[in-house]
Amino acid sequence: MGADLLEVEGLHAGYGPVEVLHGIDLSVGEGEIVVVLGANGAGKTTTMRAVSGMIPRRGLVRFAGNDISDTSTDAIVRAGVAHVPQGRGTFSDLTVEDNLRVGAYVRNDEPSEDIERWLNVFSRLKDRRTQKAGSLSGGEQQMLAIARALMCRPQLLLCDEPSLGLAPILVQDMFRTLAEMNRDNGTAILLVEQNANLALEIAHRVYLLETGSIVATGDAESMLHDDAVRKAYLGY
Amino acid sequence: MQRFLQYLFDGLSSGAIYALIALGLVIVYRGTGHLNFAQGEMAMISAFMAWWLSSNWVPIWVAVGISMVFAFGLGAITEGLIIRPIGQRSQFAVGVAAIGLLLGLNALAPFAWKVTVPEAFGSLFPKKDTDFARIGGATWRYENIGVLICLLVVAALLFLLFQKTKLGLAMRAVASNADSAPLAGIKRGRVLMISWGLAAAVGAVGGGIVASLRGNVDPAMMLAIFFSATAAAMLGGFDSLIGAVVAGLALGVMENMVAGYLPDIIGQELKGSVSLLIILAVLLFRPSGLFGSRRVERV
Repeated sequence: MGADLLEVEGLHAGYGPVEVLHGIDLSVGEGEIVVVLGANGAGKTTTMRAVSGMIPRRGLVRFAGNDISDTSTDAIVRAGVAHVPQGRGTFSDLTVEDNLRVGAYVRNDEPSEDIERWLNVFSRLKDRRTQKAGSLSGGEQQMLAIARALMCRPQLLLCDEPSLGLAPILVQDMFRTLAEMNRDNGTAILLVEQNANLALEIAHRVYLLETGSIVATGDAESMLHDDAVRKAYLGY
Repeated sequence: MQRFLQYLFDGLSSGAIYALIALGLVIVYRGTGHLNFAQGEMAMISAFMAWWLSSNWVPIWVAVGISMVFAFGLGAITEGLIIRPIGQRSQFAVGVAAIGLLLGLNALAPFAWKVTVPEAFGSLFPKKDTDFARIGGATWRYENIGVLICLLVVAALLFLLFQKTKLGLAMRAVASNADSAPLAGIKRGRVLMISWGLAAAVGAVGGGIVASLRGNVDPAMMLAIFFSATAAAMLGGFDSLIGAVVAGLALGVMENMVAGYLPDIIGQELKGSVSLLIILAVLLFRPSGLFGSRRVERV
């Protein structure tokens, strides 16, 4: 793994008077897939939102060597961090194709080639390209959300519980696609998940998040065999 | 037939004005989800600006053009300085602030320009007594045709902006999902300011046309028109540009037909009540209007 692409040090964040993250440290190397595992309410979504500047935060966030602690969300996207939010965040009144065009908003070139590329990867979207995103099924919307995020050619993809509400077969598909994309393009991925089994299969490194603090970290292989992790997150 | 055509021609021209103001309402609504109660008064202030310029030797069309730029700035500043900061605290308060803006702007115009009586405003269109076409016995004045053409040009330009440009794509994205737009790298604040500015600029076209048809500017010139335009926006579905145009024209024609064919019951004095009935009927029977998007969402 090369130098660290994303470095987070002492990150505090929350909503109004309620602090959810109590100073977490984490990093994502170039081309790395990192998974943050945690139960409901542990602060997984808050972590993602704090990294991409959607909520007030304290602490250091550095991306590709630049301090982005005070950078606005849209500028962070322009710097190369794409975020697939929980609940997918697609533009439901826009067609599938327009959603992809919005994804390419930060680029100055014509995005048609990439649109075809991702429609081929996520082939279920291809037949629906002129359909409004709001009429897609949950699985299709998740595909669209990921494709939309990839349209800006990010160096780092933040994925917030992409498995939420999807049928198991689709979840498998989606994780495979994420792993392939990481292998083929070298896009680093920071993934938060409750679905530990599948996430650990594609991840290189893992953090465990409990009530706003990182309680353990290690490479995915050793975590899979860690008794505490197995009991808490894998259920066997 | 002659009577029908006459009401139709007259109706299309007042309808075109409703549609221009309604277009502004729709642009704002799509952007920030607010009903801009001050849309009509912003148009009135812009018309005053055009009047002031044209009375200082600026050609009338140029004056209206400059007043559009002025309106764009007024709308953008209103969003950035008033609507957004208040909206972060309470969405309800935004409505109150917009009503305050209506009253404030209405009082400001005579104060700023030190006028007490309606001031004469030149005409944008040929306006001599002989400037009309005769169709089926009815007269269609050139200025009324001109109003309609202005509306169609503005609507076509807006359509191109929204459907064919990157800015339009960003505006549609913000309208559809304001929270996710920044995640696509869109500067949401800037898009919203542009939306409000654009709405006010479209309104300025309406204001200039109203002043031209009246032949003067007056602080009260947009009040009744604003209510009809709101009814038109509602009938059209509030988030549909094409809906605003069709409903605005339809409402103008309806008002004139009702007033013309029922002169003793409704007449010119009560024709504004037609729009109030339409607001009521739309809210009761079809809240999403004729062209409004009923939100399709599968989860």
